[in-house]
Parts: sequence; structure tokens; C-alpha cells
Amino acid sequence: MTTMTRNNQDNSSNRASNVPATTAAKQPLPTAKTVDTQSVLKRLQSELMALMMSGDSGISAFPEDDNIFCWKGTITGSKDTVFEGTEYKLTLSFPTDYPFKPPKVKFETGVFHPNVDVYGNICLDILQDKWSSAYDVRTILLSIQSLLGEPNTSSPLNTQAAALWENQEEYRKMVQKLYKPSA
Amino acid sequence: MTLNAHSSVCNLSALDRLNKTSIAEIAESWNGFCFSTEALLNGNGNPSCGPDFAPHEIFEKNCASKFWQNFDAYSNVGAPELCNDSMQDDEVQQVLCKALREISLEKQYQEKCLSILVHALQSYKDSTLEGRLTSDVGRAYPVPKYQLIVSSVLMTSLPRHFPEVLHWYFKGKLEELSTKMAGEYDDISEAQEKDDMDLDENPTLAYSTRDMDLDGCHHQRTFLENNRLVKNIGVVVHDLRSLGFTSLTEDAYASAIFLLLKAKVHDLAGEDYRSSVLESVKGWIQAVPLQFLRALLAYLGDSVSYDSPSSSLKSPLASQSSACYPGNGTPSEGLVRWQLRLEYFAYETLQDLRIAKLFEIIVDYPDSSPAIDDLKRCLEYTGQHSKLVDSFISALRYRLLTAGASTNDILLQYVSTIKALRTIDPAGVFLEAVGEPIREYLKGRKDTIKCIVTMLTDGTSGNPNGPGNTGDSLLEELNRNEENQDSTGMEDDINTDDKQAWVDAERWEPDPVEADPLKGSRHRRKVDILGMIVGIIGSKDQLVNEYRVMLAEKLLNKTDYDINSEIRTLELLKIHFGENSMQKCEIMLNDLIDSKRINTNVKATIAQPSQNGAEVREHGVSLDMLDATIISSNFWPPIQEEALNIPEPVDQLLSDYAKRFGEIKTPRKLQWKKNLGTVKLELQFGDREMQFTVAPVHASIIMQFQDQISWTSINLATAIGVPVDVLNRRINFWISKGILADSLGDDSNDHIYTLVDSMVDAGKTGLNSGSCEDLVGDEDGERSVASVEDQLRKEMTVYEKFITGMLTNFGSMALDRIHNTLKMFCVADPSYDKSLQQLQSFLSGLVVEEKLELRDGMYFLKK
Repeated sequence: MTTMTRNNQDNSSNRASNVPATTAAKQPLPTAKTVDTQSVLKRLQSELMALMMSGDSGISAFPEDDNIFCWKGTITGSKDTVFEGTEYKLTLSFPTDYPFKPPKVKFETGVFHPNVDVYGNICLDILQDKWSSAYDVRTILLSIQSLLGEPNTSSPLNTQAAALWENQEEYRKMVQKLYKPSA
Repeated sequence: MTLNAHSSVCNLSALDRLNKTSIAEIAESWNGFCFSTEALLNGNGNPSCGPDFAPHEIFEKNCASKFWQNFDAYSNVGAPELCNDSMQDDEVQQVLCKALREISLEKQYQEKCLSILVHALQSYKDSTLEGRLTSDVGRAYPVPKYQLIVSSVLMTSLPRHFPEVLHWYFKGKLEELSTKMAGEYDDISEAQEKDDMDLDENPTLAYSTRDMDLDGCHHQRTFLENNRLVKNIGVVVHDLRSLGFTSLTEDAYASAIFLLLKAKVHDLAGEDYRSSVLESVKGWIQAVPLQFLRALLAYLGDSVSYDSPSSSLKSPLASQSSACYPGNGTPSEGLVRWQLRLEYFAYETLQDLRIAKLFEIIVDYPDSSPAIDDLKRCLEYTGQHSKLVDSFISALRYRLLTAGASTNDILLQYVSTIKALRTIDPAGVFLEAVGEPIREYLKGRKDTIKCIVTMLTDGTSGNPNGPGNTGDSLLEELNRNEENQDSTGMEDDINTDDKQAWVDAERWEPDPVEADPLKGSRHRRKVDILGMIVGIIGSKDQLVNEYRVMLAEKLLNKTDYDINSEIRTLELLKIHFGENSMQKCEIMLNDLIDSKRINTNVKATIAQPSQNGAEVREHGVSLDMLDATIISSNFWPPIQEEALNIPEPVDQLLSDYAKRFGEIKTPRKLQWKKNLGTVKLELQFGDREMQFTVAPVHASIIMQFQDQISWTSINLATAIGVPVDVLNRRINFWISKGILADSLGDDSNDHIYTLVDSMVDAGKTGLNSGSCEDLVGDEDGERSVASVEDQLRKEMTVYEKFITGMLTNFGSMALDRIHNTLKMFCVADPSYDKSLQQLQSFLSGLVVEEKLELRDGMYFLKK
């Protein structure tokens, strides 16, 4: 089920080793659960700032209408993948105890992908059991972007897509056929 | 018996013109008379129908046409070419007098005839029908009726030019009177007034009393002349009135008086704003037109023209004028009304005159304050403030708010406007309206903030050019406000937080319309010039920021540690903007103070020999010559970084200094900003020495020529460590001084710079030699601190990324939403503090750059 590019793995493992250690040192775990909203806000704000300033191409997200816990995201298919030239909208909703819990990420645009179901739910380990507070919006989006090009076909949510993955040419046609860009 | 009596009366009036026509007339009127008598006697049973006979027919035939004929020659008297002809004037006057006299006589004569007739009828009736009840009617009725008939006859046959004739007559007479009185008024106005009062009471008596109690005989004579003049006019007016021309006459002399008054006001006020003219205008009103009217009204018995002078009409001015003449009783009501009318007219005229020239008046404001005072008093009287606002705003738009006017001039005018209008309107209501266009315009100018800050801070430096002078006034203002605060303990508007402002706003009550501005101090808001200027910029933060940049620039270019004037300015600014906002500036000044101390400490360590001291001496530079400004860069505006290789010995000196600093101030380390500061250097060419104060880059350039006389630009740039284009720009300094010469190299892009031979350039640059040139910061490109614009641009790139981010995810957004979203989420370091307008202009910039698209008020990312 876990499918990630090497880059991101390096990135996350580096951070994962650092960040939890410091937070654990600062605060015992039980109190960390009831972390005040203010610090969540701060964290999300700084993530937004980092995301805006990073200038990664193909990924973007922004809080929706006054609510910083609810973001809209945009991912474009990477070059040299079957998803090239497509653009997908996502929603990210952050729990109040973020970053101790992962945000809920869903595709809003229908995507024909082995690890995404018809409702847009994504099967990605870092959004479930492998979540770490070292991840942020930017790494989540990058992970999803790379997931598009490198699906985990062994445990698919969309078996049809998983079956078709072998035939990249047909798959590309399928993606184009099912792609409905948002307005 | 009746016939005899009649003929005797007839003879009396007609004796002096017993020529042929007169006799014919007499005969004719006699016939008419006989005929009427006949008619009356025949209709004896009915006396009320008696007056139906038509004396007016005779009158019309005989007199009216003849009267009007007199003026036929002057039908074009109103034509401008004739107006100035005094001969014509005199003639008109004479003809008018004569004609009036004649027609009045005619009328009197007819009235007498009529009364005789009535008498005759009466006695006839008395004798025949004694005790008849209607007897009184017959007697009282015919005369007023006759008068009515006469005036209507004259009115219906009134030539159109007659009012003109009257107007010119009165104008001529008044001018005559005015010139006579003007001389008199100047020296003996007091005595005059007293005499006038005598005249007012009893014009005939005035003759005798004057003879007794007057000291000088000169104005006695002129007075008599004036009196005669007034009397002549009085006769004319009286005759005209008796003919039923009351309102016509009044119109004529009123318009003549107003015309004269207007001319007088224009004459007095003119183009001179340095003196107050209101008093002299008022004095003139007292001396000339009022005196004339007083005499005239007194002559006429002062009862005819003013139908309803109700007592309620007595304005404060009435009581005031009566207070002026104690012992003489109050002047007649009519006169008071005249005075009010005249003064109002004078005020209005002067006000219009001043308002039309308000722009000029404000341009030389401090000198023109008498004119402003005049205007203020006029406006208090007339209440036509809106006229002022409209006129001034259009003048501003036309003359000041144009591309040709420099920002400094506009600001200067703005400050003058504030000061001047503050005098006129302490509540600042009209100032608000007038200032609005200026503020709006200034907001559109890029250099506004810079100019304002320059004005604020450069006041004491005494610059010979414009900004310096402007600064003086602003700093004065700051100082004065400071003093005011000491005395009143009033809280400064800018300083109060929003909550306090809200409370104040809720407490506010409008001044009643008729409120006396003098008493309105309770409501009077403080018109704070600084506050209004900050209002142009929008927020004090921007101003403080700009000031910080300027201060940094100034401090970095200081060669000594003397910051007294800066401290003073800062203290003043602190009063207005609060300690907190000026904190960074204070730290900057403290850095300078600390630098001075550290510098001394570091130099104290020189006594201990350093390992490379000998080498340093070799080049003639030692630590003694080095003064460092140590800044806490966190609190300074971003410093312009520029790579620069400074000459080896100097570089060593710097690191030596840094080492010593490190020893004293462990654990702190000194990091040099090598491109900043100033270098005093001396160039020796054989027999000649030249001193310069230059930027480090200039010094580095010229030092390279110490060992090598000629450099190509590329090599030199490498040696100094700056880009070639920068070098080419900077080296111009030395070329302009005649120290270096520029010639094209092999490659067209490559220049060769050669040290000019000392012998050759001796004559050329003789002027410059020996003088200490201070050229630091003479080019805009040489600023040591990132300008506010640069900072703004940097901030805006952050916003651009945010905007791109939100548009990527939301597709399209309206301006408002972008603004609100930025406000909500862009809270980190340069937090979003722009106005909607600023954002809009920024967005339209992005549209021009084709990064965004604007359709139907929505912004899109350009794909």
C-alpha cells in the first residue's frame, strides 16, 4: 500500500527523526492531545506561508473561506505520467489536534486511479497509520502527486484501474476519457 | 370771486414765462377749467361724479410728453461710450433738474387748480345743499386721485431709458460727493460724524450750529458744498417722488450707491493682501454713502420710502450703531436698514473678491493673514462658506493639482491652506472639504511620503532649496504642538487608539449652524497639521517606516557621531506617533551612541601593538583613522548589500578592528558592510593634493590606480569585485573630476581607464583642487539602505504568491475576496496591511504583466 518516491521518503524520514523528539521532550503526550487552537492556527499559517513561498510546481492549496481548518488543494499530473495535462482538485480538512492527527484528504475531481475510489477517498499510508507530525501540507500534496504516477496496484481501491495500469497507453486514454476538469 | 382768485394764482406761476406758447397754454387750460367747471355745475346733483372730468388729459397732453421729450436726446445714455463723458453727465443732470422743476411746477399748478375747483364746488354745494352728508367726500377725494392719475400717466408713457438717466444722474452726483468727502473723511472723520448727526436732526439748523462750533474753516466750506449737493439731490428726489417715481428713484440711487461701494471695495482691496481693508471699507460706508443717505432722508422727512420698518428688524447692528452716537438719539430706522444693507453688500463684495483670489492669498499665507482675517469676518457675516469651498477647490484643481506642480509645492500649499483655513474656520469643517482633493491627489503621487518625511526631518538643516524651507514650517508646527500639549494636556489625535476615537466620535455633536465660531471653543477640534499630513499617507506606520529609511541613510553617512538634531526630531516624532512606533528608530540612534563609545574603547587598545601594525603604517592608514558605526541590523531597515573588494591594507585594518571589537564585546562579532560608509582620501599628484570624501567603492577604484596607471574596465571590475556595469557607473565620478580618463578598448564593450597625467589636468581641474568634495549619495543608485519602494516590492512578491495560490485553488476571485483572504491568512512576517486600492493597483499591475486576467470583476490566473 505504501508508495512513495525516494525523495519524499528521505525528506520525511529526516524530519520524522527530528520533530517528534523535540515535541515529546517539550510536552508529555496526554497534554499534547488537548493542544490549544492557537498553536494549531499558527502551525497551519506557517505551513501556508511555507507552501506559498516554496514555489513547487503542480501542487497548491489554500484555506477556504475564512476557515483555516478547511483547505482546497490542486494537483496537476506530473510530466511523463499518464496523468500529464490533467488537474485535480482536493479538499483537506484538518482536525483540531493537528498535527497529531493527519488531515482528511479527498479528491474532489474524479480520478481514475488504483488507490482512489469513486468518492475520491485516497489510500495512502502517510494519511493513515504512517502519519507523523513532521509532515505538512506540502509533503502531503507532493506525496499524492507522486502517488498518481506510481500507484500501489497490490491493494487497490479501484480494481479496474489497477488492472488497466499495466497497459499505459490504454490507461492514458481512460484517464483522458474520464477526466472532467472543474470549471 | 373764485375766478379772480384763480387768475391771480395763475398769474403768479406763469408770469415768468409769458411767451406765446405759454399764453396759449394758459388759454387752453383756462378753457379746460371753464369746461370742467361747467360740467361740475351742470352735474350739481351728483358731486361724486364731479372728478370724472379729465384734468389728466390736459396734463398728459401738455406736460408728460414735453417732460419725456427732454430725455429723448439721452435715450442712449446707458451706452458705454457716453458713460465716461462728464460733459454728458452734467448735461443730463441739468436737463433732469430743469425738467423736473418744470413738471413739478406744472403739477403744483394743476393741483392748485384742482383744489380751487374743489373749493368752488364745495362752497357751491354748501350754499345750495346745506347739511348734505356727502360733503366731505368731495373735498378729500380728488387730490390723491389726481396724483395717482398723474403718476400713472407718467408711468405708462415712461421711456425705457429713464431709469438709466436717473441712475447716471445719481451716480454722477454720488461720485462727486464721494470725491469731496474722501479727502475730508481721512482727517476729520470724527468731527464729520458729529456734524452729520446735527444734520440728521435738522438740516437747516446744521448750518447755524456748524458756524459756531467748528474749528477749521476748510471742511466747513466743503461741508457746506456737500450739503448743497445733497440738497440738490434731495430736491430732485423730492420732485421725483411727488411725481410718483418713489420706487424708481430709490432703485436708481440704491444701485448707484452699490455700484460706487463695489468700486470702492475693489479699489481698496485690490491685489494687496498684506493689509486689512475691512475697517476702511466700513469707515468709508459711514463717511460717504451713509452720510449722503442720512442727509437725503432727513431732507425728505425720512418717512416715505420704508413702508414697514417693524421694530423686529432691528438687528444687533442697529443697537450697535445707536451706541456709537450717544446723545444724538438712535439713527432713524431707515438709516439703520441702509447701513445693514450696505455693510452686507460690502462684506459680500469683499468676500467674493477674496474668495476669487484665495489661492494667491494662501500662496503667500503668512504675509497675507490680514486678508484672511478680513475674509473670516466677511464669512461670519455672510455665511457663504460653501462658496469658498467650491471656488477654492476648482482653483486648486486648475492651478495646483496638475502634473506640473512639484509634490513639495503641493504639500507646502496644503500646509498653508490648513493654517489659513484654520483661522477662518476653527472647527475644520470646510478645511476637510477643501483638503480632500489635495489629499486624494497626493495619494496618487509616488514621492509624497518621501517629501513629507523630508519636510518633517530636514527642517533644522537649513537647506537652501525648497524642501528645507518647507521643513522649517512643519518642524515649527511640531514644536508648537509640543508646547500646546504642555499647556493643555490635550491628548494627541493620532496617539489615541481606535477605541478612544470611537468614544470621541460618539460624543461629538455638530455645532449649530448659527453658532458663533468665537464661542465654539467647547466643540472646537484641534486642527492638527501633522495629523492631516499623516492622513495623506494613510497610516502612520508608512510614515514611520519611510522616516526610518531616511534616518538610516542619514546615520550611515555620518562621519561623526553627532546626532543631536536627529534625537530632537525623534523626540518630537515620539510625541506624535508614540514610543512604540519609534522604537526601532530609537535603537538606531542608540546604536550610534554606542558606536561612539565602542569606537573609543577599540582605539584605546591600539596602545597594545598588534601584529600587523607595522604593515598598516606603511600605507599611511592606521586604526586612528577608522571610525566604525556599529548597528543592530535587526532593527535597521534592510541594508543594501553589494560585494566589494576593498584594498588589502584597508581590509586588514578592518579585520584588525573587528578582532579588537570581538575582544571587548565577546561573544559578539563584527561583520563589516564594506560597501557602506564614507572615505576621506587625499590624492597626491606630484606637487598637488586633492581631498575627497567618497563612497568606499570610489575609494577602492581610485586605489587600484595607485600601482597601475591604466585598467580595462573588465580587469578593474574583477579587481574590485563589482559587476562591470556598476563599475562603469561609479567610475564616472572620477572621470567627472578629471582624475581618470575614459577611452574605448579593443572590444567595444571594454573601456580603458587611465589616470590622467597630473601635468595635463592641472589647469583643467584647477577649480576642484584642494576643495573637499562631498559627493556622498549624489546618485540615486548609491543609497545604502533599501528604499521603502524596494521593501514594498519585496512584500508584494509574497502577496503575489498568495494570490497565485488562492486563484489556483479557487479559480476566480473578486477583489474584495482576495483582499479579505489576504487579510486573514497572510499574517506572517510582512503581514498584509494594504488598502483595497493598493491591492487593486497591484493586481492591475499583475494583469499588465499577463500573470492575471480580469473578467467581469473577477480575477483569473492567466493560463
